[in-house]
Amino acid sequence: MTEKTIVEEKITLMKVKHILSNSRLRDLLPLFGLIIIVAVFAVMTDMSIIEARSINLILSQVYVLMIASTGVFLVMTIGGLDFSQGSILGISSIVISYLSFYSIPLAVIAGILAGALIGACNGFFHVKFKIPSFIVTICTMYLFRGLCAYMTTDAPVAAKITITELNLTWLKISLTVAVLLIVYFIFTFTKLGTCLKAIGAGETAARFSGIRTNLTKFLIFTAAGAITGFAAFLNVIKVGSITATAGNQLETMILIALVLGGLPISGGARVRFSNIVIGTLIYCVLNNGLVMLGYDTAIQQFIKGTIFLIVVALTIDKKSLHIIK
Amino acid sequence: MGETILVAENICKSFGITKAVRDVSMTFARGEIHGLIGENGSGKSTFVSMLCGIHSIDSGRFLLNGEELHVKNQVEANDKGVSIIVQEMGTLSGLTVAENIFLGREDRFVKYGIKNTTAMNREAARLLDKYGFGHIDAAAMIDHYHFEDRKLIEIVKATYFDPQIVVIDETTTALSQNGREELYKHMKRIRDEGKTIIFISHDLTEVIEFTDNISVLRDGSYIDTVKSSDASEDELKRLMVGREIASKYYRTDYGEPVSGETVLSVQGVSVPERINGISFELYKGEILGFGGLSECGMHEVGKAIFGASYDRTGSVTLADGTKIDSIPTAIRHSIAYASKDRDNESIIIYDSIRDNIILPSINDLAEKRILRKKKLNEFANRYAKLISVKMTGVDQFVSNLSGGNKQKVVLARWIGRDSDIIVLDSPTRGIDVKVKADIYALMSELKAKGKSIIMISEEIQELLGMCDRIIIMKNGVINGEFKRDERLSEEDLIAKMV
Repeated sequence: MTEKTIVEEKITLMKVKHILSNSRLRDLLPLFGLIIIVAVFAVMTDMSIIEARSINLILSQVYVLMIASTGVFLVMTIGGLDFSQGSILGISSIVISYLSFYSIPLAVIAGILAGALIGACNGFFHVKFKIPSFIVTICTMYLFRGLCAYMTTDAPVAAKITITELNLTWLKISLTVAVLLIVYFIFTFTKLGTCLKAIGAGETAARFSGIRTNLTKFLIFTAAGAITGFAAFLNVIKVGSITATAGNQLETMILIALVLGGLPISGGARVRFSNIVIGTLIYCVLNNGLVMLGYDTAIQQFIKGTIFLIVVALTIDKKSLHIIK
Repeated sequence: MGETILVAENICKSFGITKAVRDVSMTFARGEIHGLIGENGSGKSTFVSMLCGIHSIDSGRFLLNGEELHVKNQVEANDKGVSIIVQEMGTLSGLTVAENIFLGREDRFVKYGIKNTTAMNREAARLLDKYGFGHIDAAAMIDHYHFEDRKLIEIVKATYFDPQIVVIDETTTALSQNGREELYKHMKRIRDEGKTIIFISHDLTEVIEFTDNISVLRDGSYIDTVKSSDASEDELKRLMVGREIASKYYRTDYGEPVSGETVLSVQGVSVPERINGISFELYKGEILGFGGLSECGMHEVGKAIFGASYDRTGSVTLADGTKIDSIPTAIRHSIAYASKDRDNESIIIYDSIRDNIILPSINDLAEKRILRKKKLNEFANRYAKLISVKMTGVDQFVSNLSGGNKQKVVLARWIGRDSDIIVLDSPTRGIDVKVKADIYALMSELKAKGKSIIMISEEIQELLGMCDRIIIMKNGVINGEFKRDERLSEEDLIAKMV
């Protein structure tokens, strides 16, 4: 009798695991996470986190992170990692600031090109020399961070003073939504999304299915750079002048946001576009909530690090770990 | 039967949704060699793996001498008197022969925390001598020895401590005749000492000759146990497959002419260190076989045709003059390729059945570059069902499917692509009889539709049974060519292979 109960219990446990691992529930977990985290902070801050003023503040931090995450989302879908995003944001911001004196559209295009160029550099070394992407991008991160510091040694690089007049909420929201919609459309309704997931899930087999894996990987790193180059524009209109710390730690913020949003760290077929949106929102709410509760920076980092570690430990798929490139 | 030593009670094991072992109950007697047979995937290896602590048991239990045996790993199993010689390489590279033999039991030679290597080597040498494997040096690195010697070392490792139960899982295939004789000799000795051997093998002649009783598993279920002295190969086959194996397993037609229309011409194709100057033509509606030893280069020929080889020279040309030199070109021009390395090259296992089936056809499925999910689902469903993939739906991940079903997904994607030239490398490797028969039938059907097939295979019977023409390779070059003929025998082909 007891033995039977044990067996039955085991079966129930297996069923629960099965449901957790396979069903749509898994896709909804990050959303529940967002709701819970908002609720918790709402209670802890006496509802002040859901006042218009706080929401505005949170949103103001969302734009750059969300746009840049979109690019990294693509990179992580193919099983890569990109740590160079912060330095890309820095360089592109500097380029945009310099050129803002001549023409704003020209500055934006140049910013995108600068980002694309760094991304292409990442992609080239990753594909051509078969260096794991996290190593390549850590190298370029230091390289371009150095360049950033050099260019801002004497004084911050100021943009045209009037550029901050463009710091309008509606403009930033529409640009962010535009980027999200374009990438969403391409990812969902063209073959690119399917191909990227396939590369992330098994690169050799993807190659044998007719996907030009090397070219695709190169282009995706380039695209990620270009997208962050565009995000730099929103950064410039917000801050007006660029210091050496521009884009500092952006890469880790992106990584944490995407993972909190439910993106499997090894990419592949289980990625969802919603990971980007929910992840960045969770991150920004968490960030602001901790500030509002008055924790100092060191403690904030400690808490964020802990949460990140726990989420990764709980969601990691051991089987596909070897795929990380 | 003599006194019962080991009882299996309602043993079950699943991997994901695949039920590998279903409710198996059986008994083993003291002092017998007990054969365990069944098709690939029938659950033999999984069953004994649970006995030896390699896999955990889902439900059910083993009773050794009336006491429940529940071990978590092989060392624990050894302590309880159960050992196994596994199918794959069971010795660890980078250790000496002696270290391998006493792996997990080094304590015997440790005093005050220090291992006495000399004593260990001396003891290993004594054992090797006792087993008659004196040519193996106990102190040498195991890497100095080839596969067969390493298997002999495993025999010592698994039996020197007088276990009550010794499992020998599919070991003889790795051994030459001499090695087999050695193994049989020790099997008999161990049995005569009153111990029990569970012997797994695909070679029915050997099983009948060297065992006392034979148990049959099919699809993870226990079927029957027969006395070896009463058993015949045909009867065992019938028990294994569950139905009479019809001779119509392969094609039965002989002497039908093949069209003279060339669809693919391969000229002087070389891949460094793999193949050298391969030239042949493939005709419309032909099944062309490639045979040879595993390392003869035939597997690279398939990759080379598909444009997947690195550093290939020479030309692969279609009837209309198109040169094939990359995978996308090959796929666009209706060439299909199923690799021998199914899980890594043929199919993306951590992706859905749908995505796997649509990928090669993705450009055709897009309307003005836009993909519609409904259309993709329909397409995947149609072809998965056409060749009856067992699945819960096209959203299911391929990683949960059995080997045979994975191969069906591979075939579904290429049939969906309506490929004209189909390169199948080891299409029936590790696949059970039923799916094998399905695949052969499918090949005949494709041939009848005028498709051309290149079948690369290590199974000579399959080449003889299915191909219009067989090319035998040796050391990277073509060493012989045979036309389909009823009188063609395995020996004819083997003579060209070695």
